[in-house]
Amino acid sequence: MVEQLKLGEIDAFVAWEPFVSEAVVKGYGRILVTSSEIWPNHPCCVVAARKGLDKDTLTAFVWAHIKATRFINENKNSDEILTYSTEFTGMDKEVVKQALKRIKFVEFPEINEFKFYFNKLKESGYLTHKVTDLGYANEEYFFKDFINEEIYKHVAKKLRTNSSWKPRSVNSTLRVGYLTADLHQLAFYVALKGGYFDEVGLRIIKKEYPNGVYEMEGFKLGEIDIGYLGSAPATLKRVNDNVSIRIIAGVNNEGSAIVVKEGINTISELAGKKVAIPGFGTVQDFLLKLAMEKLR
Amino acid sequence: MLGLVLFLLCWYFISFLTHFPYPHLVLLRFLELLIIPESVLGKTLLQHTAASLCRVLVASAFAFSFAIPLGILSGWSRKFRSLFLPIIDSLRPIPPLAWIPLAYIIFARIPNTILISQLFIVFIGAFFPCFISVFDSARNTPKEFIEMARVFNADNKTILLDIILPHSLQGISTGIRVGLAVGWMCIIAAEMIATTGEGLGYFILVMYEVGGRVTEIVSGIAMIGIVGYALNNLLLSFEKVIIRWR
Repeated sequence: MVEQLKLGEIDAFVAWEPFVSEAVVKGYGRILVTSSEIWPNHPCCVVAARKGLDKDTLTAFVWAHIKATRFINENKNSDEILTYSTEFTGMDKEVVKQALKRIKFVEFPEINEFKFYFNKLKESGYLTHKVTDLGYANEEYFFKDFINEEIYKHVAKKLRTNSSWKPRSVNSTLRVGYLTADLHQLAFYVALKGGYFDEVGLRIIKKEYPNGVYEMEGFKLGEIDIGYLGSAPATLKRVNDNVSIRIIAGVNNEGSAIVVKEGINTISELAGKKVAIPGFGTVQDFLLKLAMEKLR
Repeated sequence: MLGLVLFLLCWYFISFLTHFPYPHLVLLRFLELLIIPESVLGKTLLQHTAASLCRVLVASAFAFSFAIPLGILSGWSRKFRSLFLPIIDSLRPIPPLAWIPLAYIIFARIPNTILISQLFIVFIGAFFPCFISVFDSARNTPKEFIEMARVFNADNKTILLDIILPHSLQGISTGIRVGLAVGWMCIIAAEMIATTGEGLGYFILVMYEVGGRVTEIVSGIAMIGIVGYALNNLLLSFEKVIIRWR
């Protein structure tokens, strides 16, 4: 989309970091409105796991993920984070520096915002199944299972009482999917680089995917055990194709924006313009719709 | 007829064993999609079909207007052939889809890069089969006819228009038919890689990405088959009218 904006194929796009900052720093466009202004605390990337992994392994993974997330959010680590970010995304320091400012790295998603997103999907006709088709008595049960707080809460509680708590070492191998150059998923890279997975006896086999749809396909085909991916493909494919996964931790909230080229100054000026979105039913799709709705 | 029944029986059997949608469900959804806009993209299947078909027809028309004259000239003149055929033969084995990334780069400076690239891919796909078919039939014009004409002092123009061209009509007709078929395959694939907002390939891809829409995907595939079949038969009956002496 950055390239398309540069070439004038499109007038604007809604995307996530670091692509927003890339377009801004390279001078192809500017931010019209950030996603935090349109929809505060909107869900974005999450950590999902296939069903059937044992609790100790999941606990170990979530622990490493939380440790990495806290490391990122610690101000004193900002120089190291900058280096990690450039290594992970292959982008300039200036780009990632700006991008990092707009991402809210979190340990667990806001469940209410998730439900809001789910309802939007339902209203817009994106979901082809009801949760009862998937074997849940109602949506409450579905969410309890789909967004599984149990492991996160356990780890968070342990860490609250003792910040240097470490779960039992598990000695197992996990195949982990993640998306190419997606700065949101920095925690995974930090955990790898910091050796957090080794500390709890996890061997990680990395598997990179170009987008979340393919990563969900990876779950379906049994290629990966755990994956960092957007909440959109996770939800759409969980419901529509019954890909059996559950969310065990958050990665980030917010961190997207509407980027426009020169000459567009308000959201209403987007009318009749070509605006690219990463896919139908994605969070970015709804960010654009919500921004338009606010006008009315 | 028996073949069709057998095909449907197999389909029912597979649907019975798997999650694949039953034929009658697909048919119902297909008819529905024809007129009622699908909710995600907000367009009917007919609109998507028209979009793809337009692209193919425009690009193929371009391809044929180059392939036919070049094919006849190469079939007729030895000089032209030795100049031109090596180029064609070295470009021909490259699959049209392999040109996509390069097309984006070549056409980057032109507005509507993606659309132009898609047309270009179809052009490539339609050009070569048509050229080869025309070239083959032009080259196989019996030598005696040409020699006879020369004896009667016919000039090159007469030989070309009155002997080689009529003799190549069969090749032209086959070339157009095969070229369109290949072009039709190319546009569907090209639409799946980058989008201009409508088209059958795009429709199928989005249905897959959003998920849970196997009947829509099968409907789209059925539409591709129907259009391809219709194009072929339409051209065959044209051929019967134009080349009556066959």
